[in-house]
Amino acid sequence: MKNVMRQLRTDRGWSQGDLADQLEVSRQTVNAIETERYDPSLPLAFAIARLFGKPIEKIFFTEK
Amino acid sequence: MREREATRKYLMEFGGAMALYLVVLFCSLRGATHVDEGLGRTLLLLSPMIPIALVIWAYVRQLRRVDEFVRLRNLQAVALAGGITAGFALTWGFLENAGYPRLGMFTVWSVFAAVWAISSVVQGYCWPLRR
Repeated sequence: MKNVMRQLRTDRGWSQGDLADQLEVSRQTVNAIETERYDPSLPLAFAIARLFGKPIEKIFFTEK
Repeated sequence: MREREATRKYLMEFGGAMALYLVVLFCSLRGATHVDEGLGRTLLLLSPMIPIALVIWAYVRQLRRVDEFVRLRNLQAVALAGGITAGFALTWGFLENAGYPRLGMFTVWSVFAAVWAISSVVQGYCWPLRR
């Protein structure tokens, strides 16, 4: 899946480590999601959506 | 933060269990030379498996502590090691039928550990292995 997590993170001036701490995951997990090498589970995707205050489908979407 | 804390706890538990393992291994090997053949000696030589159970417990606890991606990557490395070791054991078993030397079970564990270590490192660079 595609995602705009990196953009949302940098817009807020957060490092990958900052985001990882807030999501309670490792920095490598944030990196893997941002580089689209790993699709998060539903609970983690919901946590990401909640943190950025956006619906999941605005952050994660399939390639058209 | 969470990752560092998890790693710190794991290293403490794993390190403690490994230190105990080395002590028990040394004592059992030394002690076995003074004990006659029998159940007692067998149990003495088997005693290093007690701290090894603690090592496994430490690993399982670590798997529960880490996040989903790290857990998945770890378990994929274990699965890969298991599969390759199974292939090796089966192949070597047939080669033994052809007259090749018999290998001990420690060899099987060594192969598993080596593949586990290599696949853990390799996955860090090329996750996912296939998609």
